Amino acid sequence: MKDIEQLEELLNSYIDGELDERKSNEVKRLIDNDKNARLAFESLHRCRKLLGSLRPSAAPEGFCESVTRDLERNILLADTEVYQHSKKGKRRLIYRHFITAAAMIALVAALSYVVLDIFVPKSARQKFADNVLNRKPKPQVLFEQPFAQAPEQDIVVAAPKGPSVPLVAKLTLITDSPVEADWLIGKALMNTALFDKTSAVDRKTGSVKYVLSCDRNSIVSLIGELNFIWPKCSDATLQIGTEQQGKFITINNVSARQTLDICKADNYNHRLRMASDIAMINQIAVTDVLQNYLAKQNADSDFIVPNKPVLTSSEKIEKPLSDNVSEPANFTITIIGKN
Amino acid sequence: MGSGNITIDEAALVAQAMAGNMAAVEKLILKYQDRIYNTILKLCGNDADAAELAQDSFVKAIQGLKDFRAQSSFYTWLFRIAVNNTLNFCKKSSRLNFESLHREVDEETGSQLKDYLVDGNSLEPSELAAKKEVSSLILKALEKLDPQQRAVVVLRDIEQMSYNEIAETLDIEIGTVKSRIARGRKNLRDIIEAVIS
Repeated sequence: MKDIEQLEELLNSYIDGELDERKSNEVKRLIDNDKNARLAFESLHRCRKLLGSLRPSAAPEGFCESVTRDLERNILLADTEVYQHSKKGKRRLIYRHFITAAAMIALVAALSYVVLDIFVPKSARQKFADNVLNRKPKPQVLFEQPFAQAPEQDIVVAAPKGPSVPLVAKLTLITDSPVEADWLIGKALMNTALFDKTSAVDRKTGSVKYVLSCDRNSIVSLIGELNFIWPKCSDATLQIGTEQQGKFITINNVSARQTLDICKADNYNHRLRMASDIAMINQIAVTDVLQNYLAKQNADSDFIVPNKPVLTSSEKIEKPLSDNVSEPANFTITIIGKN
Repeated sequence: MGSGNITIDEAALVAQAMAGNMAAVEKLILKYQDRIYNTILKLCGNDADAAELAQDSFVKAIQGLKDFRAQSSFYTWLFRIAVNNTLNFCKKSSRLNFESLHREVDEETGSQLKDYLVDGNSLEPSELAAKKEVSSLILKALEKLDPQQRAVVVLRDIEQMSYNEIAETLDIEIGTVKSRIARGRKNLRDIIEAVIS
Protein backbone atom coordinates (compact mmCIF):
# COMPACT_ATOMS: atom_id res chain seq x y z
CA MET A 1 0.00 0.00 0.00
CA LYS A 2 2.79 2.32 1.02
CA ASP A 3 4.65 1.42 -2.22
CA ILE A 4 1.62 2.40 -4.28
CA GLU A 5 1.36 5.73 -2.44
CA GLN A 6 5.07 6.36 -2.98
CA LEU A 7 4.73 5.48 -6.67
CA GLU A 8 1.81 7.88 -7.02
CA GLU A 9 3.77 10.62 -5.31
CA LEU A 10 6.67 9.99 -7.66
CA LEU A 11 4.42 10.00 -10.72
CA ASN A 12 2.80 13.27 -9.60
CA SER A 13 6.17 14.87 -8.94
CA TYR A 14 7.34 13.64 -12.36
CA ILE A 15 4.28 15.15 -14.05
CA ASP A 16 4.81 18.44 -12.22
CA GLY A 17 8.53 18.50 -13.09
CA GLU A 18 9.51 18.52 -9.43
CA LEU A 19 12.04 15.65 -9.61
CA ASP A 20 15.74 16.03 -10.16
CA GLU A 21 17.23 14.64 -13.37
CA ARG A 22 18.27 11.29 -11.91
CA LYS A 23 14.90 10.51 -10.34
CA SER A 24 13.12 11.82 -13.38
CA ASN A 25 15.02 9.36 -15.60
CA GLU A 26 14.20 6.49 -13.24
CA VAL A 27 10.49 7.27 -13.34
CA LYS A 28 10.60 7.62 -17.13
CA ARG A 29 12.20 4.18 -17.44
CA LEU A 30 9.55 2.75 -15.10
CA ILE A 31 6.75 4.21 -17.17
CA ASP A 32 8.28 2.86 -20.38
CA ASN A 33 8.72 -0.63 -19.00
CA ASP A 34 5.76 -1.07 -16.64
CA LYS A 35 2.31 -1.12 -18.18
CA ASN A 36 0.47 -0.37 -14.88
CA ALA A 37 2.77 2.51 -14.09
CA ARG A 38 2.22 3.84 -17.62
CA LEU A 39 -1.58 3.61 -17.29
CA ALA A 40 -1.51 5.35 -13.91
CA PHE A 41 0.77 8.03 -15.31
CA GLU A 42 -1.47 8.65 -18.34
CA SER A 43 -4.62 8.79 -16.22
CA LEU A 44 -3.02 11.25 -13.82
CA HIS A 45 -1.63 13.32 -16.66
CA ARG A 46 -5.03 13.59 -18.36
CA CYS A 47 -6.77 14.51 -15.12
CA ARG A 48 -4.19 17.20 -14.42
CA LYS A 49 -4.46 18.62 -17.92
CA LEU A 50 -8.23 18.71 -17.65
CA LEU A 51 -8.05 20.58 -14.38
CA GLY A 52 -5.47 22.98 -15.77
CA SER A 53 -7.70 23.65 -18.78
CA LEU A 54 -10.47 25.16 -16.68
CA ARG A 55 -11.16 28.67 -17.82
CA PRO A 56 -9.89 31.18 -15.28
CA SER A 57 -12.51 33.47 -13.77
CA ALA A 58 -11.85 37.18 -13.67
CA ALA A 59 -12.59 39.32 -10.64
CA PRO A 60 -15.96 41.07 -10.77
CA GLU A 61 -16.15 44.54 -12.27
CA GLY A 62 -15.27 47.36 -9.91
CA PHE A 63 -13.45 44.96 -7.62
CA CYS A 64 -10.44 47.25 -7.23
CA GLU A 65 -12.66 50.25 -6.40
CA SER A 66 -14.51 48.19 -3.77
CA VAL A 67 -11.24 47.21 -2.13
CA THR A 68 -9.85 50.77 -2.12
CA ARG A 69 -13.15 52.13 -0.81
CA ASP A 70 -13.10 49.51 1.95
CA LEU A 71 -9.51 50.42 2.76
CA GLU A 72 -10.28 54.16 2.93
CA ARG A 73 -13.26 53.51 5.17
CA ASN A 74 -11.13 51.40 7.51
CA ILE A 75 -8.42 54.08 7.58
CA LEU A 76 -11.00 56.76 8.42
CA LEU A 77 -12.51 54.63 11.18
CA ALA A 78 -9.05 53.94 12.54
CA ASP A 79 -8.38 57.71 12.64
CA THR A 80 -11.55 58.40 14.57
CA GLU A 81 -10.81 55.35 16.78
CA VAL A 82 -14.44 54.34 16.53
CA TYR A 83 -13.81 50.70 15.83
CA GLN A 84 -10.23 50.45 16.99
CA HIS A 85 -9.78 47.65 19.46
CA SER A 86 -7.38 49.46 21.72
CA LYS A 87 -6.22 48.03 25.02
CA LYS A 88 -8.65 50.37 26.77
CA GLY A 89 -11.46 49.03 24.63
CA LYS A 90 -10.52 45.45 25.39
CA ARG A 91 -10.37 46.21 29.08
CA ARG A 92 -13.79 47.83 28.84
CA LEU A 93 -15.12 44.79 27.01
CA ILE A 94 -13.73 42.43 29.66
CA TYR A 95 -15.16 44.66 32.40
CA ARG A 96 -18.53 44.64 30.67
CA HIS A 97 -18.44 40.83 30.39
CA PHE A 98 -17.52 40.61 34.05
CA ILE A 99 -20.39 42.90 35.07
CA THR A 100 -22.80 40.90 32.91
CA ALA A 101 -21.63 37.62 34.46
CA ALA A 102 -21.95 39.07 37.98
CA ALA A 103 -25.44 40.35 37.22
CA MET A 104 -26.44 36.93 35.87
CA ILE A 105 -25.07 35.18 38.96
CA ALA A 106 -26.91 37.63 41.24
CA LEU A 107 -30.13 37.11 39.31
CA VAL A 108 -29.82 33.32 39.49
CA ALA A 109 -29.06 33.52 43.22
CA ALA A 110 -32.08 35.74 43.85
CA LEU A 111 -34.35 33.46 41.85
CA SER A 112 -32.98 30.40 43.66
CA TYR A 113 -33.64 32.07 47.00
CA VAL A 114 -37.21 32.88 46.01
CA VAL A 115 -37.82 29.33 44.76
CA LEU A 116 -36.28 27.85 47.94
CA ASP A 117 -38.30 30.20 50.11
CA ILE A 118 -41.49 29.15 48.38
CA PHE A 119 -41.02 25.41 48.00
CA VAL A 120 -38.62 24.30 50.77
CA PRO A 121 -39.87 24.46 54.38
CA LYS A 122 -37.89 26.57 56.82
CA SER A 123 -37.09 23.57 59.03
CA ALA A 124 -35.61 21.67 56.08
CA ARG A 125 -33.51 24.68 55.13
CA GLN A 126 -32.32 25.02 58.72
CA LYS A 127 -31.42 21.33 58.81
CA PHE A 128 -29.53 21.63 55.52
CA ALA A 129 -27.65 24.69 56.80
CA ASP A 130 -26.79 22.84 60.01
CA ASN A 131 -25.46 19.89 58.00
CA VAL A 132 -23.43 22.11 55.69
CA LEU A 133 -21.97 24.21 58.49
CA ASN A 134 -21.55 21.14 60.69
CA ARG A 135 -23.26 22.73 63.67
CA LYS A 136 -25.60 21.27 66.24
CA PRO A 137 -29.25 21.77 65.48
CA LYS A 138 -31.16 24.00 67.85
CA PRO A 139 -33.56 22.14 70.15
CA GLN A 140 -37.06 22.16 68.79
CA VAL A 141 -39.38 24.57 70.57
CA LEU A 142 -42.68 22.88 71.30
CA PHE A 143 -44.34 25.70 73.19
CA GLU A 144 -44.22 29.39 72.66
CA GLN A 145 -42.45 31.44 75.29
CA PRO A 146 -44.93 32.56 77.93
CA PHE A 147 -45.93 36.14 77.40
CA ALA A 148 -44.84 36.92 80.92
CA GLN A 149 -41.23 36.04 79.95
CA ALA A 150 -41.32 37.58 76.55
CA PRO A 151 -39.37 40.78 76.03
CA GLU A 152 -41.47 43.81 76.63
CA GLN A 153 -40.83 45.34 73.24
CA ASP A 154 -42.34 42.27 71.56
CA ILE A 155 -45.71 42.97 73.12
CA VAL A 156 -46.58 46.38 71.94
CA VAL A 157 -50.28 46.53 72.44
CA ALA A 158 -51.95 49.82 72.08
CA ALA A 159 -54.37 50.43 74.87
CA PRO A 160 -57.66 49.46 73.39
CA LYS A 161 -60.26 52.10 73.59
CA GLY A 162 -63.46 50.12 73.75
CA PRO A 163 -66.98 51.26 74.53
CA SER A 164 -67.81 52.31 78.09
CA VAL A 165 -69.69 49.17 79.20
CA PRO A 166 -70.55 48.78 82.88
CA LEU A 167 -68.57 46.22 84.81
CA VAL A 168 -70.85 43.30 85.56
CA ALA A 169 -69.23 40.60 87.64
CA LYS A 170 -70.24 37.77 89.92
CA LEU A 171 -67.76 36.44 92.45
CA THR A 172 -68.66 33.13 94.05
CA LEU A 173 -66.57 32.03 97.04
CA ILE A 174 -66.84 28.55 98.57
CA THR A 175 -65.61 28.36 102.09
CA ASP A 176 -65.63 26.13 105.15
CA SER A 177 -66.33 29.12 107.38
CA PRO A 178 -69.10 31.13 105.74
CA VAL A 179 -69.83 33.16 108.88
CA GLU A 180 -66.28 34.43 109.08
CA ALA A 181 -66.31 35.19 105.38
CA ASP A 182 -69.60 37.07 105.73
CA TRP A 183 -68.14 39.09 108.56
CA LEU A 184 -65.04 39.95 106.52
CA ILE A 185 -67.18 41.10 103.59
CA GLY A 186 -69.28 43.29 105.86
CA LYS A 187 -66.10 44.81 107.27
CA ALA A 188 -64.73 45.46 103.80
CA LEU A 189 -67.98 47.12 102.75
CA MET A 190 -67.76 49.35 105.74
CA ASN A 191 -64.13 50.23 105.09
CA THR A 192 -64.83 51.16 101.52
CA ALA A 193 -68.07 53.00 102.28
CA LEU A 194 -69.94 50.65 100.01
CA PHE A 195 -72.39 49.39 102.57
CA ASP A 196 -74.89 52.01 101.51
CA LYS A 197 -74.48 51.07 97.89
CA THR A 198 -75.40 47.47 98.49
CA SER A 199 -78.63 47.17 96.57
CA ALA A 200 -79.52 43.73 97.95
CA VAL A 201 -78.37 41.20 100.53
CA ASP A 202 -79.84 37.76 100.21
CA ARG A 203 -79.16 35.49 103.15
CA LYS A 204 -80.13 31.88 102.87
CA THR A 205 -79.08 28.81 104.74
CA GLY A 206 -75.50 28.13 103.80
CA SER A 207 -75.18 31.13 101.46
CA VAL A 208 -75.08 34.92 101.43
CA LYS A 209 -75.39 37.10 98.34
CA TYR A 210 -74.38 40.77 98.15
CA VAL A 211 -75.40 42.82 95.11
CA LEU A 212 -73.50 46.09 94.73
CA SER A 213 -74.30 48.94 92.34
CA CYS A 214 -71.47 51.47 92.30
CA ASP A 215 -68.56 52.53 90.08
CA ARG A 216 -65.68 50.36 89.02
CA ASN A 217 -63.09 52.09 91.20
CA SER A 218 -65.12 51.31 94.27
CA ILE A 219 -65.19 47.66 93.27
CA VAL A 220 -61.41 47.75 92.87
CA SER A 221 -61.12 49.17 96.39
CA LEU A 222 -63.43 46.48 97.70
CA ILE A 223 -61.43 43.68 96.10
CA GLY A 224 -58.33 45.21 97.67
CA GLU A 225 -60.00 44.91 101.04
CA LEU A 226 -61.27 41.41 100.32
CA ASN A 227 -57.90 39.83 99.74
CA PHE A 228 -58.00 38.53 103.32
CA ILE A 229 -60.99 36.37 102.45
CA TRP A 230 -59.25 34.20 99.85
CA PRO A 231 -57.18 32.15 102.36
CA LYS A 232 -60.47 31.21 103.98
CA CYS A 233 -61.90 29.86 100.70
CA SER A 234 -61.48 26.49 99.07
CA ASP A 235 -62.66 27.72 95.67
CA ALA A 236 -63.40 31.01 93.97
CA THR A 237 -65.16 31.60 90.66
CA LEU A 238 -65.47 34.92 88.90
CA GLN A 239 -67.94 35.59 86.09
CA ILE A 240 -67.45 38.67 83.93
CA GLY A 241 -70.44 39.91 81.99
CA THR A 242 -70.26 40.57 78.31
CA GLU A 243 -72.21 42.92 76.06
CA GLN A 244 -74.52 40.04 75.29
CA GLN A 245 -77.18 39.86 77.92
CA GLY A 246 -76.80 36.82 80.19
CA LYS A 247 -73.48 35.72 78.69
CA PHE A 248 -70.50 35.56 81.06
CA ILE A 249 -66.88 34.58 80.90
CA THR A 250 -66.27 32.17 83.76
CA ILE A 251 -62.88 32.05 85.47
CA ASN A 252 -62.45 29.10 87.76
CA ASN A 253 -59.96 29.06 90.59
CA VAL A 254 -59.61 32.78 90.36
CA SER A 255 -57.19 34.45 92.73
CA ALA A 256 -57.56 37.81 94.49
CA ARG A 257 -54.86 39.27 92.29
CA GLN A 258 -56.54 38.06 89.10
CA THR A 259 -59.88 39.44 90.25
CA LEU A 260 -58.32 42.77 91.02
CA ASP A 261 -56.49 42.93 87.67
CA ILE A 262 -59.68 42.22 85.77
CA CYS A 263 -61.62 44.82 87.68
CA LYS A 264 -58.86 47.37 87.16
CA ALA A 265 -59.07 47.02 83.40
CA ASP A 266 -60.07 50.51 82.32
CA ASN A 267 -62.24 49.51 79.36
CA TYR A 268 -64.51 46.76 78.27
CA ASN A 269 -62.30 45.20 75.58
CA HIS A 270 -59.29 45.09 77.83
CA ARG A 271 -61.36 43.58 80.60
CA LEU A 272 -62.82 40.86 78.39
CA ARG A 273 -59.51 39.94 76.87
CA MET A 274 -57.86 39.72 80.26
CA ALA A 275 -60.75 37.64 81.59
CA SER A 276 -60.52 35.25 78.63
CA ASP A 277 -56.76 34.88 78.99
CA ILE A 278 -56.91 34.23 82.73
CA ALA A 279 -59.75 31.76 82.28
CA MET A 280 -57.68 29.87 79.74
CA ILE A 281 -54.56 29.95 81.90
CA ASN A 282 -56.43 28.66 84.93
CA GLN A 283 -58.06 25.96 82.79
CA ILE A 284 -54.65 24.88 81.50
CA ALA A 285 -53.38 24.86 85.08
CA VAL A 286 -56.01 22.23 85.81
CA THR A 287 -55.36 20.04 82.79
CA ASP A 288 -51.80 20.89 82.06
CA VAL A 289 -49.96 18.48 79.77
CA LEU A 290 -46.82 18.95 81.75
CA GLN A 291 -48.72 17.96 84.87
CA ASN A 292 -49.94 14.82 83.13
CA TYR A 293 -46.46 14.07 81.93
CA LEU A 294 -45.05 14.47 85.43
CA ALA A 295 -47.85 12.34 86.78
CA LYS A 296 -46.84 9.59 84.38
CA GLN A 297 -43.30 9.99 85.55
CA ASN A 298 -44.51 9.64 89.17
CA ALA A 299 -43.30 13.13 89.88
CA ASP A 300 -45.02 15.61 92.10
CA SER A 301 -46.20 18.51 90.03
CA ASP A 302 -47.93 20.48 92.74
CA PHE A 303 -44.94 22.66 93.33
CA ILE A 304 -44.88 23.56 89.63
CA VAL A 305 -48.52 24.09 88.83
CA PRO A 306 -50.98 24.52 91.65
CA ASN A 307 -54.41 23.05 91.14
CA LYS A 308 -56.07 26.14 92.45
CA PRO A 309 -55.02 29.53 93.68
CA VAL A 310 -53.50 29.27 97.09
CA LEU A 311 -52.74 32.31 99.16
CA THR A 312 -50.57 31.81 102.19
CA SER A 313 -50.73 35.46 103.13
CA SER A 314 -52.47 38.59 102.07
CA GLU A 315 -51.26 39.97 98.73
CA LYS A 316 -49.84 43.42 98.48
CA ILE A 317 -52.22 45.19 96.23
CA GLU A 318 -51.88 48.72 95.07
CA LYS A 319 -54.59 51.00 96.28
CA PRO A 320 -56.57 52.32 93.41
CA LEU A 321 -57.04 56.02 92.93
CA SER A 322 -60.49 56.71 94.33
CA ASP A 323 -60.89 60.11 92.75
CA ASN A 324 -60.77 58.70 89.22
CA VAL A 325 -64.04 58.80 87.37
CA SER A 326 -64.87 55.30 86.16
CA GLU A 327 -67.72 53.42 84.56
CA PRO A 328 -70.60 52.03 86.64
CA ALA A 329 -70.31 48.54 88.03
CA ASN A 330 -72.67 45.83 89.14
CA PHE A 331 -70.88 43.40 91.39
CA THR A 332 -72.38 40.34 93.04
CA ILE A 333 -70.55 38.47 95.77
CA THR A 334 -71.92 35.10 96.81
CA ILE A 335 -70.52 33.16 99.71
CA ILE A 336 -71.41 29.49 99.83
CA GLY A 337 -70.72 27.36 102.81
CA LYS A 338 -69.06 24.12 102.00
CA ASN A 339 -70.71 22.23 104.88
CA MET B 1 3.49 33.10 -13.02
CA GLY B 2 4.48 33.46 -9.42
CA SER B 3 8.08 33.99 -8.52
CA GLY B 4 9.83 33.13 -5.31
CA ASN B 5 11.88 36.31 -5.39
CA ILE B 6 10.36 39.73 -5.24
CA THR B 7 10.90 41.69 -8.46
CA ILE B 8 12.23 45.26 -8.48
CA ASP B 9 8.97 46.69 -9.80
CA GLU B 10 6.91 44.83 -7.27
CA ALA B 11 9.27 45.80 -4.45
CA ALA B 12 8.90 49.46 -5.40
CA LEU B 13 5.14 49.17 -5.53
CA VAL B 14 5.02 47.47 -2.15
CA ALA B 15 7.30 50.15 -0.67
CA GLN B 16 5.09 52.91 -2.02
CA ALA B 17 1.95 51.13 -0.78
CA MET B 18 3.54 50.84 2.66
CA ALA B 19 4.15 54.59 2.56
CA GLY B 20 0.41 55.08 2.00
CA ASN B 21 0.42 55.66 -1.75
CA MET B 22 -3.06 54.63 -2.87
CA ALA B 23 -2.03 54.57 -6.54
CA ALA B 24 0.55 51.91 -5.75
CA VAL B 25 -2.05 50.02 -3.76
CA GLU B 26 -4.42 50.08 -6.71
CA LYS B 27 -1.68 48.78 -9.02
CA LEU B 28 -1.00 45.88 -6.68
CA ILE B 29 -4.71 45.07 -6.48
CA LEU B 30 -5.15 45.22 -10.25
CA LYS B 31 -2.10 43.03 -10.74
CA TYR B 32 -3.33 40.18 -8.56
CA GLN B 33 -7.12 40.57 -8.30
CA ASP B 34 -8.00 38.02 -11.04
CA ARG B 35 -5.65 35.34 -9.81
CA ILE B 36 -6.69 35.79 -6.21
CA TYR B 37 -10.37 35.79 -7.12
CA ASN B 38 -9.98 32.73 -9.41
CA THR B 39 -8.12 30.75 -6.76
CA ILE B 40 -10.63 31.63 -4.04
CA LEU B 41 -13.52 30.76 -6.36
CA LYS B 42 -12.04 27.32 -7.05
CA LEU B 43 -11.57 26.81 -3.32
CA CYS B 44 -15.00 27.93 -2.10
CA GLY B 45 -17.09 27.30 -5.24
CA ASN B 46 -19.36 30.32 -4.86
CA ASP B 47 -19.11 33.62 -6.80
CA ALA B 48 -20.49 35.91 -4.10
CA ASP B 49 -18.41 34.31 -1.33
CA ALA B 50 -15.33 34.42 -3.54
CA ALA B 51 -15.76 38.16 -4.26
CA GLU B 52 -16.23 38.95 -0.59
CA LEU B 53 -13.33 36.76 0.52
CA ALA B 54 -11.05 38.21 -2.16
CA GLN B 55 -11.90 41.77 -1.10
CA ASP B 56 -11.39 40.89 2.55
CA SER B 57 -8.03 39.25 1.74
CA PHE B 58 -6.78 42.33 -0.12
CA VAL B 59 -7.85 44.65 2.70
CA LYS B 60 -6.11 42.45 5.27
CA ALA B 61 -2.98 42.24 3.15
CA ILE B 62 -2.76 46.01 2.50
CA GLN B 63 -3.51 46.90 6.10
CA GLY B 64 -0.95 44.37 7.26
CA LEU B 65 1.78 45.62 4.94
CA LYS B 66 3.69 46.99 7.95
CA ASP B 67 4.27 43.35 8.97
CA PHE B 68 5.54 42.36 5.51
CA ARG B 69 9.28 41.61 5.82
CA ALA B 70 9.94 40.87 2.12
CA GLN B 71 11.40 37.47 3.02
CA SER B 72 9.00 35.98 0.51
CA SER B 73 7.37 37.59 -2.50
CA PHE B 74 4.34 39.84 -2.05
CA TYR B 75 2.53 37.37 -4.28
CA THR B 76 3.19 34.43 -1.92
CA TRP B 77 2.34 36.56 1.10
CA LEU B 78 -0.91 37.72 -0.49
CA PHE B 79 -1.86 34.15 -1.45
CA ARG B 80 -1.11 32.93 2.05
CA ILE B 81 -3.57 35.44 3.47
CA ALA B 82 -6.18 34.65 0.81
CA VAL B 83 -5.95 30.85 1.14
CA ASN B 84 -5.95 30.89 4.94
CA ASN B 85 -8.88 33.30 4.92
CA THR B 86 -10.80 31.04 2.55
CA LEU B 87 -9.97 27.82 4.39
CA ASN B 88 -11.12 29.42 7.66
CA PHE B 89 -14.32 30.49 5.97
CA CYS B 90 -14.85 26.95 4.58
CA LYS B 91 -14.26 25.49 8.03
CA LYS B 92 -16.79 27.84 9.66
CA SER B 93 -19.44 27.43 7.00
CA SER B 94 -18.82 23.76 6.28
CA ARG B 95 -21.95 22.29 4.81
CA LEU B 96 -22.40 18.61 4.17
CA ASN B 97 -22.87 18.32 0.45
CA PHE B 98 -24.86 15.22 -0.33
CA GLU B 99 -25.94 16.55 -3.68
CA SER B 100 -25.44 13.98 -6.41
CA LEU B 101 -23.03 14.91 -9.21
CA HIS B 102 -24.73 12.65 -11.75
CA ARG B 103 -27.15 15.35 -12.83
CA GLU B 104 -24.21 17.62 -13.77
CA VAL B 105 -23.46 15.91 -17.09
CA ASP B 106 -25.64 14.61 -19.85
CA GLU B 107 -24.99 11.24 -21.44
CA GLU B 108 -22.99 12.48 -24.39
CA THR B 109 -20.70 14.71 -22.35
CA GLY B 110 -20.30 11.93 -19.82
CA SER B 111 -19.27 9.57 -22.57
CA GLN B 112 -16.77 12.06 -23.99
CA LEU B 113 -15.31 12.68 -20.53
CA LYS B 114 -15.04 8.93 -19.93
CA ASP B 115 -13.29 8.43 -23.25
CA TYR B 116 -10.88 11.18 -22.39
CA LEU B 117 -10.02 9.98 -18.88
CA VAL B 118 -9.91 6.24 -19.64
CA ASP B 119 -8.81 5.94 -23.25
CA GLY B 120 -7.47 9.38 -24.05
CA ASN B 121 -9.10 9.08 -27.51
CA SER B 122 -11.45 11.97 -27.36
CA LEU B 123 -11.50 15.74 -27.47
CA GLU B 124 -8.67 17.93 -26.33
CA PRO B 125 -8.85 18.77 -22.60
CA SER B 126 -9.33 22.47 -23.39
CA GLU B 127 -12.34 21.62 -25.58
CA LEU B 128 -13.81 19.45 -22.85
CA ALA B 129 -13.16 21.96 -20.09
CA ALA B 130 -14.77 24.66 -22.18
CA LYS B 131 -18.06 22.81 -21.82
CA LYS B 132 -20.03 24.37 -19.02
CA GLU B 133 -21.23 20.99 -17.75
CA VAL B 134 -17.71 19.64 -17.48
CA SER B 135 -16.28 22.70 -15.74
CA SER B 136 -19.24 22.63 -13.35
CA LEU B 137 -18.65 18.92 -12.65
CA ILE B 138 -14.96 19.50 -11.95
CA LEU B 139 -15.72 22.40 -9.59
CA LYS B 140 -18.28 20.30 -7.73
CA ALA B 141 -15.81 17.43 -7.50
CA LEU B 142 -13.21 19.85 -6.12
CA GLU B 143 -15.73 20.96 -3.50
CA LYS B 144 -16.01 17.35 -2.35
CA LEU B 145 -12.28 17.13 -1.64
CA ASP B 146 -10.84 17.68 1.80
CA PRO B 147 -10.06 21.47 2.06
CA GLN B 148 -6.33 20.86 2.63
CA GLN B 149 -6.09 18.61 -0.44
CA ARG B 150 -8.27 21.02 -2.43
CA ALA B 151 -5.93 23.91 -1.57
CA VAL B 152 -2.77 22.17 -2.86
CA VAL B 153 -4.48 20.86 -6.00
CA VAL B 154 -5.88 24.31 -6.85
CA LEU B 155 -2.60 26.10 -6.15
CA ARG B 156 -0.69 23.56 -8.27
CA ASP B 157 -3.01 22.75 -11.17
CA ILE B 158 -4.92 26.04 -11.49
CA GLU B 159 -2.56 28.64 -10.08
CA GLN B 160 0.47 26.69 -11.39
CA MET B 161 2.51 27.24 -8.23
CA SER B 162 5.66 25.21 -7.66
CA TYR B 163 5.82 22.79 -4.73
CA ASN B 164 8.12 25.24 -2.90
CA GLU B 165 5.69 28.12 -3.35
CA ILE B 166 2.80 25.96 -2.17
CA ALA B 167 4.79 24.91 0.92
CA GLU B 168 5.62 28.56 1.60
CA THR B 169 2.07 29.77 1.02
CA LEU B 170 0.45 27.13 3.20
CA ASP B 171 3.36 27.06 5.65
CA ILE B 172 3.78 23.28 5.35
CA GLU B 173 6.63 20.87 4.47
CA ILE B 174 7.41 19.93 0.86
CA GLY B 175 6.75 16.28 1.71
CA THR B 176 3.28 17.23 2.92
CA VAL B 177 2.67 19.10 -0.32
CA LYS B 178 3.66 15.99 -2.34
CA SER B 179 1.47 13.63 -0.41
CA ARG B 180 -1.51 16.01 -0.44
CA ILE B 181 -1.19 16.54 -4.18
CA ALA B 182 -1.02 12.80 -4.81
CA ARG B 183 -4.04 12.05 -2.62
CA GLY B 184 -5.99 15.05 -3.85
CA ARG B 185 -5.58 14.19 -7.53
CA LYS B 186 -6.38 10.54 -6.92
CA ASN B 187 -9.53 11.40 -4.97
CA LEU B 188 -10.57 13.92 -7.59
CA ARG B 189 -10.13 11.37 -10.38
CA ASP B 190 -12.07 8.78 -8.38
CA ILE B 191 -14.94 11.22 -7.83
CA ILE B 192 -15.16 12.16 -11.52
CA GLU B 193 -14.85 8.55 -12.70
CA ALA B 194 -17.58 7.51 -10.27
CA VAL B 195 -19.87 10.08 -11.88
CA ILE B 196 -19.24 9.14 -15.49
CA SER B 197 -18.99 5.37 -15.08
